[in-house]
Amino acid sequence: MKRDVVIGIEIHCELKTNSKMFSASRNSINDTPNIHVNEIDLGHPGVLPTLNKRAVELTLRACMLTQCEIDSLIKFDRKNYYYSDLPKGFQITQQFHPIGKNGVIEIEVDQQKKQVRLDRIHMEEDTAKQYHLEDETYIDYNRAGVPLIEIVSKPDMSSAKEAKEYVSTLRNMLIFADVTDGKMEEGSLRCDINISLKEAGSVQFGTKVEIKNLNSLNNIEKAIEAEILRQNQLLDAGEKVLMQTRRYDETLKTTVAMRSKESAVDYRYFPEPNLRPIQLEQAWIDSIQASLPKTPQQWLEHLIELGATVIEANILINNKSLLDFFIEASKEVKDVRLALNWTITEVTSLVNIMQEKLFEMVSSHHFALFLNCISDKVISGKQAKDVLKWMSESGKDAQTLVNEHGLVMVSDDLALLNWIDEAIKENPQSILDFKQGKDRAVGF
Amino acid sequence: MNVNEAINRLKAIQPTTNACVTIIEDDVKTHEGVLSDVPIALKDNVITKGILTTGGSKLLSNYIPPYNATIVDKLKQAGGVIVAKTSLDELGMGGTGTASFNGPVRNPFDLTRQAGGSSSGSAVVVAAGAVDIAIGSDTGDSVRKPASYVGVVGTKPTYGRISRYGIIPYASSLDHVGYFTRDVRLAALMCDVLSGQDKMDHTSLPYPSTTIAPSLQDNVKGKVYGVFKEVLEAIDHPQTLKHFDAVCRALESKGAIIKTISMNETLLRTCLPTYYIIANCEATANHSNLTGVNFGLTQEGADVETIMTNTRTHGFGPLIRKRFVIGSYGLKDENQDKLFRKAQKVRRLIVEEFNRMLNECDGLIAPATTSIAPLLEGANMNVLSNAHLIAENYMVLSNFSGAPSITVPIMPVDGLPHGINLTCKIEDESTMFQLALAIETCVKEGL
Repeated sequence: MKRDVVIGIEIHCELKTNSKMFSASRNSINDTPNIHVNEIDLGHPGVLPTLNKRAVELTLRACMLTQCEIDSLIKFDRKNYYYSDLPKGFQITQQFHPIGKNGVIEIEVDQQKKQVRLDRIHMEEDTAKQYHLEDETYIDYNRAGVPLIEIVSKPDMSSAKEAKEYVSTLRNMLIFADVTDGKMEEGSLRCDINISLKEAGSVQFGTKVEIKNLNSLNNIEKAIEAEILRQNQLLDAGEKVLMQTRRYDETLKTTVAMRSKESAVDYRYFPEPNLRPIQLEQAWIDSIQASLPKTPQQWLEHLIELGATVIEANILINNKSLLDFFIEASKEVKDVRLALNWTITEVTSLVNIMQEKLFEMVSSHHFALFLNCISDKVISGKQAKDVLKWMSESGKDAQTLVNEHGLVMVSDDLALLNWIDEAIKENPQSILDFKQGKDRAVGF
Repeated sequence: MNVNEAINRLKAIQPTTNACVTIIEDDVKTHEGVLSDVPIALKDNVITKGILTTGGSKLLSNYIPPYNATIVDKLKQAGGVIVAKTSLDELGMGGTGTASFNGPVRNPFDLTRQAGGSSSGSAVVVAAGAVDIAIGSDTGDSVRKPASYVGVVGTKPTYGRISRYGIIPYASSLDHVGYFTRDVRLAALMCDVLSGQDKMDHTSLPYPSTTIAPSLQDNVKGKVYGVFKEVLEAIDHPQTLKHFDAVCRALESKGAIIKTISMNETLLRTCLPTYYIIANCEATANHSNLTGVNFGLTQEGADVETIMTNTRTHGFGPLIRKRFVIGSYGLKDENQDKLFRKAQKVRRLIVEEFNRMLNECDGLIAPATTSIAPLLEGANMNVLSNAHLIAENYMVLSNFSGAPSITVPIMPVDGLPHGINLTCKIEDESTMFQLALAIETCVKEGL
């Protein structure tokens, strides 16, 4: 039987703030465990929350980029449940009045454009991170209280490809707006996929399965494909799909059940009494709108203006660090086209080897000076490859390395001719060979 | 009163009154200020860095906090010295002083009687002359009622006037920091010391400290005292009524105007049930952090869930467990509309009505309690009587609305302390202390 696939996605995304959502502790989850922790993060008796303004600003950016309606009266609620990663015994979230509603983003799959609607964007706080060892559980509270937004789509996607493209497009938008670092493998952007099958054309939805903890774009695609297959096989065999939470097992290449979702949990939501509702000023909202960083689409247009091809522009847009590196350098270089060529080819291949480390070793300023050495014919294109490699190994600038290695490119024609005469005199046999038609001699 | 005298006196009254959880002998003055070297007691739900803070609960009977409540820092900056952490009904829930993990608190004027609660110990240490200032907290009437039972001034400024950061909560939307003093002038000074916006408390009012004490006067010529009609009608103790009337007449002779003000009785009778729903619902969430995972008297268990369950079962008294069950029930999805949300709607109606009453006068007065402190043993109350529903619990009105409220002792009833409660408009502590000072003056002058 032909069936339609219905997919909705919830994304949890950690915000790039300096401090936590409701406390002044640093937001830095990858440091030594439990060093960014205060009495508020640990849920000690008597503590009260205060709201991080920057987190609201970044959330507003996310709302604006996805064309959400903004509720300028900020209210929070408590979601009550007991778990060892939730020290207060409740999470502060926005259940009843999400800051953003009814958004939409456009994605493109197989040259087809498609609108995916967003149900809501709301602010909340992350839980602590737990590490389960054999008999013991360790808790890292660095993550407790980290600002989080939840972005909930409508069930508008109908294939694994669309789902992957949705997450990828949204993730890129948020990374470009500096809302998040979007590192899925580190959990700063996490996806829960809701997926069900229904008879083709039917209005009756099938039973929904949630797939949790997907840590890469590729796994989203693989997990959904595997889950569609699994549900189709069940339905073909006349069996029922159970309402479950599942996870994707990379070795088994299928989804496996984590827990049943039959009994809905009652979180006893109620308005957070320790945070008064906050009315955002329209002028502040407008100023955030006015200063929104460029979107990937806007960057694409900008790069094409700078002389990049569409392919080149897309390579840069898919790596924000590389794009930033190029854009900074392009402000100082004499030849932007040259900068593009070197960024797309040599820098990209170094990034493939060194990842982000490259940008630590080679600043965009050094890269610009290096490119200008080529433009000024201080070094030849052939030498330049080596120089860039040395730069990436040593962190030194091009001129220093040229001096250290005794490289010179002579641009004085007379001196050059003299050197050629000397070379010919000293290699008579080569000249003879060349005249007799042996090409090998040219490269001696 | 110096610090050593205070400590000696606290030790002397401890065996009879059981007012303190901890007597602190090694705190020293760190700053000079208006309270330099003044010994101060704190209710044991005020968080003190490095000093045991139990909240009156067995679950926290080993809890040494890693931080200070904002008001502790303020008291220290004013030169104060902390000499005691005082006993309270567990987590501030209760009005008797009998629901603490370390046993009942006794009234220093009659050891067979309660001191009221939940700020029982703080009321007692001021009443017994051990300290001049003790901090309490007031969610329903937990400062103003014990003040009446032990004959001291009990003050609760406007909601948000004093930071709640570092006060172990009961119900966040109703909790106020309050305090006990020997007289009204010191009460006004304490408002000046403790008040002021705190960036750690998002509900604190956006103003700096008050400056009321320096210019406080008891001139009430032309001021209107509103007498709370329904509360007076619900009291049948003749001496209570007689003393109250005498104070009114004395105020009139100072040029004040006495005016009867009435409240919609249906709304008045719903105060107590509304209070219990809101308070218990908020409390059950507020105390979900007490699981034994990070702090507290942790019990053994095979897994985290069992540890939490065992810790809570072992750590809370029966009264608390009952309130948490009621609170959870009221917040359940299928009950919220008819309990918690309904209670919040009723609260709004009550507050509107109460504000109307306060707008008809400068301050609203009534006896703080129907009579003297109840006996510790065998106290029996008819929970649906008007005396209980109205006269014993009307003071919760100012917790609903956040209005400033103060209890001032007047003449003894049956030979034991008794007080008048006065409530003024939100943020108008200045008028409140003025009207309260006039009451105090009348009583001192023998009316």
